[in-house]
Amino acid sequence: MSPLSNVLAADPALPPTGSRRRALADGLRDALPIMMAYVPIAMTFGVLCVSHGLPWLLTVFISVWVYAGGAQFMLVGLAMSGASMLSTVITVLLVNLRHVLYGTALGPSFAAWREPAKWLFAFGMTDEVFAVSSGRGFAEPPVPWRQIPFALACYASWVGGTVVGGWIGQVVPSSVAEVLGFALPALFIALLALGPRSLPHLAAAMLGAAVAICAHLLQLGNLAVIVGALAGAAGGWGWETWRDRHRGGDEASSSPHDTHP
Amino acid sequence: MESTLWIETLCIGIGTYLMRSVSLTLGSRLRWPEGVRRWLSFVTPAVLGALIGQAVLLQGNQLVPPLHNPALWATLPTVAIAWWSRHLLATVAVGVACFAIASAIAPAA
Repeated sequence: MSPLSNVLAADPALPPTGSRRRALADGLRDALPIMMAYVPIAMTFGVLCVSHGLPWLLTVFISVWVYAGGAQFMLVGLAMSGASMLSTVITVLLVNLRHVLYGTALGPSFAAWREPAKWLFAFGMTDEVFAVSSGRGFAEPPVPWRQIPFALACYASWVGGTVVGGWIGQVVPSSVAEVLGFALPALFIALLALGPRSLPHLAAAMLGAAVAICAHLLQLGNLAVIVGALAGAAGGWGWETWRDRHRGGDEASSSPHDTHP
Repeated sequence: MESTLWIETLCIGIGTYLMRSVSLTLGSRLRWPEGVRRWLSFVTPAVLGALIGQAVLLQGNQLVPPLHNPALWATLPTVAIAWWSRHLLATVAVGVACFAIASAIAPAA
């Protein structure tokens, strides 16, 4: 038995082989849209790095080791602008602080998992993997045989895209690389549309954007995303709480992940 | 710069992994109160909003003038596609195509 199937077998309610295969297929199907978005974005990352003079090996290592899209672009940008080592590390980690909230949010639905499986899945918990996992994770509990292949497939597409992007980075004109840079905000927009669609959730996004922009204009730098996120989440939560209180008890049973068209 | 970037990458990778793993393993042991869980459901849209807002409207710490902001113009059709298609790749593909067109029509200053 390979170490991977050992970890997967740690599922406390070990499913029979047939449903295990079905879970694996479900996991890969979940991964497909993310992989199709990751490959071009990771290629963009590879192209950007190599066309700006970074060695191919370092470029690929960043994707293998960090595996966080926004943070990687930010890391390379800061390093090229000559920011100090300490401020670069702190800044990028601050932006990644949102992963603490992801783990905290997903954690309860992983309570039945064994530790090694949790620690393996945690490596692959990116924004997109979180968005997809939390979209269904609260409705049906996550199964290792579905969740871990899902996370690994996304990771493989990210590393693969970077490898290829690093190769073609030497020949791609910088104007093309610049246009590809819009892939990242487009991905964030797509994730927003995939998430909960109630008015308070959309208000949280708008407020998050407005506060982050104000914080930038006030020179808060990379703290701005954190400040905007906390303010937006508090605003959306406050609205929903207020609305439910005014509508009375009939809304109390609605889960926070309900989508209102 | 290269050796510095290797070290920065190592530190950021370890830090990011610890944030992901420790929060997941702790989060699976502690039962958070309903109010906290509700609040957490708003964190993702708020983070995404903040990231989109700064990516689309800012250059450095400055607002980009709308007429010279192809990202802003590309965002409008991208939002429409994202909303109706609910499809990651379609949204990214249309978004990049619109950004290429907008960059040609209203180039950045």
